[in-house]
Amino acid sequence: MLDRFFYREKGLFLQSLHPLSALTYIAVLLGLVLMFNHPLYLLGLLAVTVTAIKAVDGIDAWKSFLKVSMGAAFVIIIVNAITVRAGETIIWHGPYIPVFGRLNVSMEAVCYGADMGLRLLDIMSIFCLYNFTIHPDRVLDLLSRFSFKSALVLSLAARMFPAMVSRLDSIREVQTARGVDFNTGTLKEKMGKYALLIKILLLTSLEDSMETAEAMYARAFGSGRRSHYVRDAWRPRDSICLAASLLALGAAIYGWAKGLGTFSFYPRLDCLIDGLTELVLLFAVIFLLSFPLILSWGWHNCPFIKSKI
Amino acid sequence: MPLYQIKNLTYFYPDSQKPALKDVNMNIEEGEFLLITGSSGSGKSSLARVLAGLIPGFYGGRIGGSVFFRGKDIKQLEQCSIAREVGIVFQDPEKQLIMTSVEAEIAFGLENLGLPQQEMARRIAEVMSFLGLSELRREFTAKLSGGQKQKLALAAVLAMQPSVLILDEPTSQLDPVAAEEFFNLVKRLNEDLGMTVILIEQRLERCFHLADRVLLMEDGRIRFEGTPEQVARRAAQCETPFIPPVARFFAKAGFNTIPVTVKEGRRMLRENFNLPSSDFYLKHPGVVHEEEPLLRMERVWFAYPDGREALQDINLQFYAGELVAVLGANGAGKSTLLKTMAGLLKPGRGRVMLMGGEPGSSSSRRVWNSWVGYLSQNPSDYLFHDTVEEELLYTLKNFGISPNGIVDEIMDKLSLQDFRHANPRDLSCGERQKVALASVMVTKPKLLLLDEPTRGLDYRQKAEMGKVLVEYCRQGASVVLTTHDVEFAAEYASRVIMMFCGRIVCDGPAHQVLSESIFYSTQIGRMCRGFADGILTPEEALAVLKPASHGKWERK
Amino acid sequence: MKKLLSKILFWLGFAIIPVFLAVTISGKTSITREWGLTASIIILGAVGLMYLGFELDASSPREIALIAVLGAVGAAGRVAFAALPNVQPTTFIAIASGYVFGPTAGFMTGSTAALVSNFFLGQGPWTPWQMFAWGLAGSSAGIVKCFFPHIGRWGMVVFCFLWGYFFGWILNLWSWTTFVKPLNWQSFIAVCAASFWFDTFHAAGNAAFYLLFGPGFIKLLNRFKLKMIQKYEE
Repeated sequence: MLDRFFYREKGLFLQSLHPLSALTYIAVLLGLVLMFNHPLYLLGLLAVTVTAIKAVDGIDAWKSFLKVSMGAAFVIIIVNAITVRAGETIIWHGPYIPVFGRLNVSMEAVCYGADMGLRLLDIMSIFCLYNFTIHPDRVLDLLSRFSFKSALVLSLAARMFPAMVSRLDSIREVQTARGVDFNTGTLKEKMGKYALLIKILLLTSLEDSMETAEAMYARAFGSGRRSHYVRDAWRPRDSICLAASLLALGAAIYGWAKGLGTFSFYPRLDCLIDGLTELVLLFAVIFLLSFPLILSWGWHNCPFIKSKI
Repeated sequence: MPLYQIKNLTYFYPDSQKPALKDVNMNIEEGEFLLITGSSGSGKSSLARVLAGLIPGFYGGRIGGSVFFRGKDIKQLEQCSIAREVGIVFQDPEKQLIMTSVEAEIAFGLENLGLPQQEMARRIAEVMSFLGLSELRREFTAKLSGGQKQKLALAAVLAMQPSVLILDEPTSQLDPVAAEEFFNLVKRLNEDLGMTVILIEQRLERCFHLADRVLLMEDGRIRFEGTPEQVARRAAQCETPFIPPVARFFAKAGFNTIPVTVKEGRRMLRENFNLPSSDFYLKHPGVVHEEEPLLRMERVWFAYPDGREALQDINLQFYAGELVAVLGANGAGKSTLLKTMAGLLKPGRGRVMLMGGEPGSSSSRRVWNSWVGYLSQNPSDYLFHDTVEEELLYTLKNFGISPNGIVDEIMDKLSLQDFRHANPRDLSCGERQKVALASVMVTKPKLLLLDEPTRGLDYRQKAEMGKVLVEYCRQGASVVLTTHDVEFAAEYASRVIMMFCGRIVCDGPAHQVLSESIFYSTQIGRMCRGFADGILTPEEALAVLKPASHGKWERK
Repeated sequence: MKKLLSKILFWLGFAIIPVFLAVTISGKTSITREWGLTASIIILGAVGLMYLGFELDASSPREIALIAVLGAVGAAGRVAFAALPNVQPTTFIAIASGYVFGPTAGFMTGSTAALVSNFFLGQGPWTPWQMFAWGLAGSSAGIVKCFFPHIGRWGMVVFCFLWGYFFGWILNLWSWTTFVKPLNWQSFIAVCAASFWFDTFHAAGNAAFYLLFGPGFIKLLNRFKLKMIQKYEE
């Protein structure tokens, strides 16, 4: 269960990207989703993301992300509908509630809620893509160039985490064998039993941490200026993906400053497509962001492209 | 000039009144393979830490006397200049790895030394191909096996290109196959690369003969020092157990020349002993069980959620009075077998019956637990109270048993009375093991299941535990334990089960199984194979084999 | 100098959220369009500043190993308690470590627990917010210890209880700024109301943890704090 969302190396194109270019691509996707609220833009970005998820073979896990998002999207629609009173087209007159005032639900608020539900879905999908594209270790490696100590803490913790989870299981077995029944008792008693597991784990791990520190010291940690070992190679594909992502970001910021990609819901719903430029920008952004996907297709299907990038 | 010169070294850990090292004087030469042995608490690990510059640099404490490394006072040396020259590999691979991926782990030390990229790339590539780790380059370190982890720890140290390699019981957490492989690597490092190796070890069967010089420590002092043969001869005279079984046998038989390997032992046997006829077989009384077994397993299968079938079609009976040792490589399913017997894992198919009953409802579960005692691989998991006594009372309280006198009885049996009010977390590894065992035995279970109870124990502690367990069996209980320690199994077990990939491949009286096996046999067993089958321990060999009067080698 | 800089950066990161909240609620800003983006940038900036503060601070191998272990235990605790609804020991562990080892260590423990557990449970948009919230829980406990050294058991129980809600509200800030428009206090209250039971479970769990195990844990951590200091005599 633990590694369901954990990165799996499958030797796919997107996984072979340098962490910097992969991270930039994903960050740009996320940034655009947060910048634009136009439903068409959000849909377009969703399409790109889902195609990318498919390219990293993560559709199954995405479905479970989808389920979580649906629940949250519902809450977003409700909250928007009952608390926002900027809309003019009232579709339901509710009762008067102290503090909050009169509960009126407007069509604009419901639409805005639905649009935001779509944004949530976008965001969740982008993170799903992230989980399947970039190995945590490579992000830590990237991070350690800038802030070595924090990256060290994180990678130590990440290294210990799986061992700790299985250690918790074995401590639980020990407790069961010593007569503790984890299935009975009130909530409070149960909590006490589980908390005891954590206490035992903490005792043991703290003892172990001293030995880990000793091993670090023995390998000259903290003895002077460090250097950094570069593990990842930078290939043409990384330059292409990075350039495409940055261009997309640039185009998006330009359009955003001009008011494109923004849909105004209040006081009344705007027209869905107002002007050709909005569509042109949308297609330009989607095209640029599809670059890595096109390369991915080419890399998997065309030996010529594969050898060149 | 010697590599290390140690004069009158005395050392106290912080907040400790008892010295860990007393008046140690020694020299270590370049290129030497030095074995340091001794019981736990004898100061051998502390000595290793002094040589690696961790004492006092990392530990602090009070240090007296002087330690010179290449003519320089080690206390004056910078941390990084020691780390460049001296590498140390510790006991537990789990605790000494730092990074998440194999390559980054090897790079860690090099980065700390501030080496340039090209130099790092070369060293990492070299060390990975030397140790055969290239395949695992991008692997997540948490997913490696114990043997691989220890090899990685070695690689990370070797990449720093030290001239001295210190190994602090590096194989105590590994199974015999991985341990053998590890020692072979170390031998190559010493012979092919001329690296100075300082090995701290208390299980000597595999490494005694590798050493150029052996140091036996006791109570913070050096007791004997010399070549393996010299130490074996002198140690045999004073009954110290820190020599391999073959050497012990010849020393006790009164020989002056003491062989330390099976090969030399066999030659001496041929030349100096009246060997019994070729069809000799040391007979042991067989036991026929007529009573109902304590625990019966019928066609038991178990698979983990990831699909690994850890138990496949297990049919076993365990009877009162038996001491059963389960042998097998790591991952053969030994621990799973014990957990299934303890009722902690529910078999996927088949039945496990304790005295004719199956665990079903919650109440019979309780009965099951109080009849079966289970000691896991990590004794520390049993210790979380402030005193040893509370630890025992906790188990009793959970089962609703009134403690009248039981606690005292168990503590006497395991000689824990001195530690009654001590914090169990302040005890040494061997003592912790005993406290954990006591907290399991306190309910007087009819079936006692122990997962690697001898790990990390020295000869004396093992003998003590063996005696306690044999005595417990004699009172009508059954003990089932897993171990990698064939010598221990030969000495104390009445029955041996061998597992391979989730199956039982062999099950029978200890002597029969172990003397028929090639790899899972004792050193004496391998030495006597073909001359006198069925012999496993030095004591048995002494009783059966008599030296010839016309022997080639002089006896005193 | 470096030490001072590290402190300044750390507290700068700390101060960001109250200022941010005040500005959003007052509505007197020029950023009218997408608060979600601004909020994400701000939170990343805050976490980044606090990490930079830690980075510049001197720390020994023991401290690093200790913080990593505490963080990993906190992360493992999230998994162990998956069976109970929103009751987990992570907040409690962050608070206890901050209380004993000070604000910086508390922050690192909490944020490490968040990030590392999400490596395995799935990273999401909540990750930086969780890092911030748990980190803040840890470092605020360190501050409480500075200002009220005699806060006592019940004081800490109340503190842990309150953090159940604070944690929920910090995370709500994310969904609120990203998905609600226009931002006003009514909608923030509505978002918090939606998570009320969730937060209450969390708060009750925290309080219960402290009540049952707080003093024991703190004693344990203090024991290790003593071990961290090396003594060297000739």
